[in-house]
Amino acid sequence: MNTFTDMQLDALRELANIGSGNAGTALSSMLGKPVDISVPTAAALPLPEAVAVAGDPGELRHGVVVPIVGDLDAIVVLLFPHDDAKTLCAMYGIEPGTPDGDSMLGEVGNILGANYINVLAQMVGMELEPTPPQVVEDMLGAILESVLLGRGEDTPTALVLERLGL
Amino acid sequence: MAEAVVRMGEAAASATPGDTLACIGLGSCIGLVLVDRARSVAALAHVMLPSAPAEPQAQPYKFADLAVSALLDLALAHGALKPRLEAAIVGGAAMFQFGAGGSGQDIGARNESAVRGRLDGLGIPLRAAATGGGRGRTVRIFVGPDVAITVREAGGREEALLGAPMTVGVAA
Repeated sequence: MNTFTDMQLDALRELANIGSGNAGTALSSMLGKPVDISVPTAAALPLPEAVAVAGDPGELRHGVVVPIVGDLDAIVVLLFPHDDAKTLCAMYGIEPGTPDGDSMLGEVGNILGANYINVLAQMVGMELEPTPPQVVEDMLGAILESVLLGRGEDTPTALVLERLGL
Repeated sequence: MAEAVVRMGEAAASATPGDTLACIGLGSCIGLVLVDRARSVAALAHVMLPSAPAEPQAQPYKFADLAVSALLDLALAHGALKPRLEAAIVGGAAMFQFGAGGSGQDIGARNESAVRGRLDGLGIPLRAAATGGGRGRTVRIFVGPDVAITVREAGGREEALLGAPMTVGVAA
């Protein structure tokens, strides 16, 4: 099922590393707090496994989805466990799951997504532009499968890259 | 007593009382259930897309146009009788707007209508549906003398979709 060579995966991991580093810096300056980024691993997994490594598919997550338009069809998806969403929102004195909380998480998604995508776009010489974020609180599996299949295409594998820690 | 979790593009069937089959966290996908209640046989597929690409290797349970007859065969192989089979469907939600799609209709709705069309074509009656909307769902089938199907929406409670309401706390 793995259709990428080790070298390609290394290159993708490096792109993700730089993209998330940039995104983390941007988030850190928005929040005025340090943001750590764990060392990314890259793996190309069949879709069911890609969902499985993300966690229990029935658990609720706050999901921020940023569709990307331009030279590449892409969707950036951020998943926050409730406690993390709460921590983020608490920095602004708001509650997750409220309109203000959704707006706040959407903004975080926007900043992370836009910065990640900008670095990618610069490095590979593509025009990529984020569209407004969509925020949901739903089952992890439902969010991921809707994102992975949202364009109605049969994608055999998903690239799973990394996680951010606050 | 075991729970078979049916992941994207997979299927499972059982005629063993006490078994459960589940699709956990369905979004735009469809959890397709076929049951023969008299024989206590149940089969479940996690259908991802409306139609298969034109290639012979296509995995049958991924695509609505192949999944219904493939799941029918699986149910029959577990002892179900075709005239007694009943269907239920869960999922097909539209959680996000991604534009572009082309047909204008979202993937969840297209999955649902493809599954309904194939059930119709095979003459399998659809007894219950929990579809559409914008929330994820989990479907569970409790195999046994009273086959029961439950649905839980994200953030909601587990509710009966078909069959006897759940009996709680009966240890095997």
